Amino acid sequence: MYLTPEEERVYNGEYGWAYQVSMKILVRLGDLYGATRLIPIKSAHISGVSYKTMGDAPIDFLQALVNEGGRARVPCTANPSGFDQDYLSEMNIPREYVEKQLRIIELYKKMGVDPIFTCTPYYLRKPRPSWHLAWAESSAVIYANSVLGSWTNREGGPSALAAALIGKVPEYGMHQAENREANTLIKVESSPLNEAEFGALGIYAGKLLKDRIPLFEGLSSYTKDNLKQLGAALASSGMASIFHHHKPYRRRELETISIEERDIKNTIESLSTTSEAPNLIFIGCPHCSLDEFRGIAQALRGKKVRKEVKLWVCTSRHIKERAKTDVDVIEEAGGRVLCDTCAIVTWVKYYGIETMKTNSAKAAYYAPTLNEVRVTLAPLSKCIDTACRG
Amino acid sequence: MRITKLKGRSIVPGHGRGPALVSMKPISFLGGVDPNTGLIIERGHDLKARNVAGRILCFPYGHGSTVGSYVLYSLAKKGLGPKAIVNQTADPVVVVGAIIAEIPMVDQVDIQQITTDDDVEVDGHKGILTIIRRK
Repeated sequence: MYLTPEEERVYNGEYGWAYQVSMKILVRLGDLYGATRLIPIKSAHISGVSYKTMGDAPIDFLQALVNEGGRARVPCTANPSGFDQDYLSEMNIPREYVEKQLRIIELYKKMGVDPIFTCTPYYLRKPRPSWHLAWAESSAVIYANSVLGSWTNREGGPSALAAALIGKVPEYGMHQAENREANTLIKVESSPLNEAEFGALGIYAGKLLKDRIPLFEGLSSYTKDNLKQLGAALASSGMASIFHHHKPYRRRELETISIEERDIKNTIESLSTTSEAPNLIFIGCPHCSLDEFRGIAQALRGKKVRKEVKLWVCTSRHIKERAKTDVDVIEEAGGRVLCDTCAIVTWVKYYGIETMKTNSAKAAYYAPTLNEVRVTLAPLSKCIDTACRG
Repeated sequence: MRITKLKGRSIVPGHGRGPALVSMKPISFLGGVDPNTGLIIERGHDLKARNVAGRILCFPYGHGSTVGSYVLYSLAKKGLGPKAIVNQTADPVVVVGAIIAEIPMVDQVDIQQITTDDDVEVDGHKGILTIIRRK
């Protein structure tokens, strides 16, 4: 890789260990993937926040970066943590876990990371088309590339943090136009209708595609939130960083995969591991948008969540503030609007939760292994029915 | 004494020598290796209950969460890290872990030629492994 004289100085340690080790990470990854230079980024988004997911692993390294003066050089957000501090008293999380989580959050804050912990950083600061970014969190990466038209590789927690400190990334993969083109056509024979079906389509296609780039054909009408579900699921069961959903101007001969209605139905069934009554209804994987809040509030108006079941709507602090009217409707109906966390990265077992119903295929895909809960995947309307009517 | 030399690709420079710990299974450092002890804890792994500390750790590639890199740093900081890492194919999780933990690392090596407890010397700069077997 070619480094500018200034980048050389960072690499040689003239600005201290924190920047040197960050530069080494970027240069070595660049070498491995055939990059020839570093390019500036507009923002970074890091994963590796929840103590429940990571345990003690990152604390030593983050502390060392802080001690050596490491600070983010570009706007930097981070993934959800283990809890919403406003609702800590309702949880039975062991004190040691709370303290460790707060310590991790404090370390990120000292490095200049925005203390808004979300998997949807694009609602806080929407990146523009063709901006280069260094984002971890696979659902945000695929949304940025496919829906917003920004350019980011699927970074890992450490490489996104290194990019935040340096303000640059090695130029390879999604940062180069030729690597972003579709190479597989997915013909959807019967368009998904709701968010759970869009997610199921993503899980099914992701398994078939692995790291190939799909162009979806046959999706009739859809919202950005439908695409959010599709992308989050694609990136969960496969390695996708981008998908296309509109016909490209020049159509090449593409390898074609057909997906039928029954493939989507079967996927929903296979993701649903229980038909038991759920302890928790979980909406907000990925974190809810303003539009989704409107939909949830509409579905809940005039209803009450039954005592035997919890309704969690997860989002970012930023969206919670802006959706105040809808938040009030949800909380008055007996639901909880939680920020900075979600049902996958918190300790649901301390709430006595063993079964979950969700409208997110990604959450349904991960919950049985990451949280040892049994899951049902169903669209929002059915989730709200279950919450209120049983 | 029989000496075998294997040539791979340099990933992280540095020298390491010690007894090999070899698996043909990928390792997930987050959740697979205890950052406080160095013990392999992944369910069903053929190296379960073995310790990576002081070893020349040989495995095909890493998988799992990218936060796994931090486990290698934590181990090295406590003096419990492997002396070197030898992979068939380097992946970002292990590469970043080896960089931040300053553990010599070489990839593109046929690890089937190495047996657990072989005395192995790794030259991370040149990408050369020397396997010393006493007969």
